Amino acid sequence: MTRAAIIVCWVMAIGLALFLIIPLLVIAAASFSPTPVFDLPLTGASTRWYGRIGRLDGFWPSLLLSLQIALLSTVISLVCGTLAAIAIARGKLPGAGIFATALVSPLMMPGLVLGIALLQGFRAVGFTAPWATLLVAHLVITLPYVARTMISGLARFDFTLIEAARTLGCSYPGSVLRVMVPALAPSFLIAGIFSFLASFDNYPVSIFLADVRTKTLPIRMLQYIEEAPDPTLAALSTLILAGTVILLFVSDRVVGLHRMAGTSD
Amino acid sequence: MSESSPHLVVRGVSKRYGPTTVLDHIDLTIRRGELVTLLGPSGCGKTTLLRAIAGLAQPDTGKVELAGRDITHVPPHKRNVGVVFQSYALFPHLTVAGNVAFGLKVRGMARREIDVAVDRALSLVKLGHLASRRISALSGGQQQRVALARAIAVEPDVLLFDEALSALDRKLREEMQVELRRLLQEVKATAIFVTHDQDEALTMSDRVAVMNKGRIEQLAEPRELYLRPASLFALNFVGLSTRISGTVLSADNGKVDVETKVGRLSALGNFQAGSPVIVAARPEQLRIGGEDETNSASGRVRSVVFQGSRTLVEVDAGAGESLLAELSGRDGAIPGVHDEIRLSWPVAETFAFPMEAQA
Amino acid sequence: MTEAALSAPVAAPAVDRERLTAVGFVLPSFVIIAGVFALPLMLLLGVSFVDANGLTIANYKRLLGTPYYLWVIWNSLRLGLLTTIIAFLISYPAAFALARARGPLRSVLLATLFLPLAASVIVKAFAWTILLRSDGIVNETLMALGIIEDPIRMIFTETALIVGAVNIFLPFMILPIYAIVAQLDSRYAEAAATLGASPVVTFFRVILPLTLPGIIAGVALVFSLSVSAYVVPTLLIGEKYPTLATTIAKAYLLAREPGFGAAAGVVLLAIAIAVVALSARLSREPK
Ligand SMILES: Nc1ncnc2c1ncn2[C@@H]1O[C@H](COP(=O)(O)OP(=O)(O)OP(=O)(O)O)[C@@H](O)[C@H]1O
Ligand SMILES: [Mg+2]
Repeated sequence: MTRAAIIVCWVMAIGLALFLIIPLLVIAAASFSPTPVFDLPLTGASTRWYGRIGRLDGFWPSLLLSLQIALLSTVISLVCGTLAAIAIARGKLPGAGIFATALVSPLMMPGLVLGIALLQGFRAVGFTAPWATLLVAHLVITLPYVARTMISGLARFDFTLIEAARTLGCSYPGSVLRVMVPALAPSFLIAGIFSFLASFDNYPVSIFLADVRTKTLPIRMLQYIEEAPDPTLAALSTLILAGTVILLFVSDRVVGLHRMAGTSD
Repeated sequence: MSESSPHLVVRGVSKRYGPTTVLDHIDLTIRRGELVTLLGPSGCGKTTLLRAIAGLAQPDTGKVELAGRDITHVPPHKRNVGVVFQSYALFPHLTVAGNVAFGLKVRGMARREIDVAVDRALSLVKLGHLASRRISALSGGQQQRVALARAIAVEPDVLLFDEALSALDRKLREEMQVELRRLLQEVKATAIFVTHDQDEALTMSDRVAVMNKGRIEQLAEPRELYLRPASLFALNFVGLSTRISGTVLSADNGKVDVETKVGRLSALGNFQAGSPVIVAARPEQLRIGGEDETNSASGRVRSVVFQGSRTLVEVDAGAGESLLAELSGRDGAIPGVHDEIRLSWPVAETFAFPMEAQA
Repeated sequence: MTEAALSAPVAAPAVDRERLTAVGFVLPSFVIIAGVFALPLMLLLGVSFVDANGLTIANYKRLLGTPYYLWVIWNSLRLGLLTTIIAFLISYPAAFALARARGPLRSVLLATLFLPLAASVIVKAFAWTILLRSDGIVNETLMALGIIEDPIRMIFTETALIVGAVNIFLPFMILPIYAIVAQLDSRYAEAAATLGASPVVTFFRVILPLTLPGIIAGVALVFSLSVSAYVVPTLLIGEKYPTLATTIAKAYLLAREPGFGAAAGVVLLAIAIAVVALSARLSREPK
């Protein structure tokens, strides 16, 4: 590469990094704004907005709902998606390739269209309980993440490892537990985190299934922003952001250290 | 148990996958401390036989006995076999020592004993200094040694190697062949070694089993296998040979006279007159010149390939037949290409095989 | 007959059992994808051909026959196209720098890619509303630098929309490109150079074709995401810039015209499927 091209590449990379990170920094900074308008640069710092999060109209039920739905749908998807990925990876399934494509295809489909399709579908069969419809709908949001991650994780998994463990004196279930589970733990964790975040953050599907009393947190937040944006929202966003960062960091540590240390026990 | 008593017995083992018969009534008896190689072309069932012995594939019929115990229906983890896989199958989440300790931990051995056994196994393969390395930070040759250490650490009744050296480059492979042989003798292991590399088979083993299409064609010591191949397949698969087709003219007590396109030849074999046969001899038996009481044929030299201590000469004997001679420089002049020469070889080293057996 | 069936060889069922287990393993996922994804989409297609008077193509006529809705469709495509092009122009060179980065610098750069990916779209869009307000940081900075004298209106303009959309979808562009570029062997370029190719020729003849799979993947992903974005236009531009996505939401949530909303959904879906199919086709072709 020529010198000029290299410089352009670096300028773009640094610019891109700043551009991506700035909104996150701005939110964090605004949450400490001493005044109700987000004045930047800050003229002081205040944490009072954090205290107000809990007093936002309908905040707690929405947080609880979003956590429930995200956790449950992630757990169900992890189980179903991993089983499916195993079957696909073992190659004993006719039409495995097509099925794998079908499993991840919702990722490429507009969420809003899925939302109205589900609204229509659930109505057609008389399935209208908001909590349950949200959970079922979020399975379609989370399953593709799990399937994609686990299929590629399992594609890299060498099934002779299980045979090796068996010849070394491990029973079949024992081999799965001692060899396959640790080898796939990183994929499993990544799949779980991304599927949880995808559900927790989802707006376009949830909006069509929620009702006045059953609103997920993203729906609430958009409503707050449209009605009366103030630093309380920035504080809430910062907390969610911080939670996400901690989640990512801790899991990286757990998986990373686990691999480095090289022990399964 | 005595040295020569049967240690591993495979009796009438067959295995089918759908319509294909992968193992066809395999019988194989291995003595304690013996190293037997399974040699054969790709797809002949070597891996399947090994897996049947390890318990990773259930035979449809037949029995497997190991160290006096019928293990036909014993699951792999209770068989006490050690397997070195072609891809090594080392556990990526464990260290070198963790891999070697795996089988011992599973057996519930005490921590201190495990440490001792791991140290011993690793020093046997000269990897003691890498005990705490991660697997991904090892070279191919080192991984191979870890796989070996892991397999011998549990002191298995039989060690099974499935093309264990084929992923190594040639030089390393040849070094490992020698070292592995030494090591297996040191730990007095009984071992089965799968390969499709004939040199590897001849170098390493006490006996070689030549497999073809799910059957064992010949089980013999390397020298006997080379000098007295039991079938055309065994002849072709191990070493080079001159092969000429013809028809039996007369048979006499284990010896036949065969009419071929290059003249009348005599060979060892039992056939009825009129049978179509292939007459064969090893190239090093062929000499320049024509002597009495021998087979001989003449032709024009097609190619001369210098190979260090010996020279391979291919002679076009006409009528689509060719002769292959391996000459050492001592025997006199090496002919040039296009020279007309006559080659002769002893009848006692000439074999006849049935024609239809040619694969 | 039954006698024969009972004494059938024992080998065959082993294979059958493996297959049966495999089917059992995929069954739950299959039920979810078929029942909660495929079937509802088909139903949606059906609903799009229905209005108050029964079976009809009126919904599509209205959508594809009125200038207003053609403009709406164009708005969606325009949002998708602009976002994709700009994201590509930034990401492509940046991916090369990222691939050359080593050590802590690489970790920091990768973190700036993954962190926003994990942050909520709503949070990021909200941040841009703060950034782009007339008394927001962007205006203040520009004024402080003397580039502008008075604050310019940015929020609720197309600029705000595109800036926000590029910001939110950028990671989906650079990650697939980076994945390919990072594997790119520098020896290819060196080989081309030793064969007498100029840097420009090397780029167009060697590097661009080799990185094409990453480009196709990134472009397809970013386009299909941005063409159907809902939160971003709602927060950053609003009513002024109706898109297919906002039209769908309005038809269902306010106007109660499911047939029409479904038709708009089908059109959006068709665009997404076309992009996916095209990209799958393109990335298969060179082989
Ligand atoms: N699980 C299986 N299902 C169906 N067919 C199989 C299975 N395992 C092996 N086979 C078939 O059995 C035959 C023998 O396979 P095997 O792996 O034992 O050969 P091999 O001698 O080890 O060959 P190679 O030298 O290539 O490793 C092959 O034709 C193979 O396709
Ligand atoms: Mg094999």
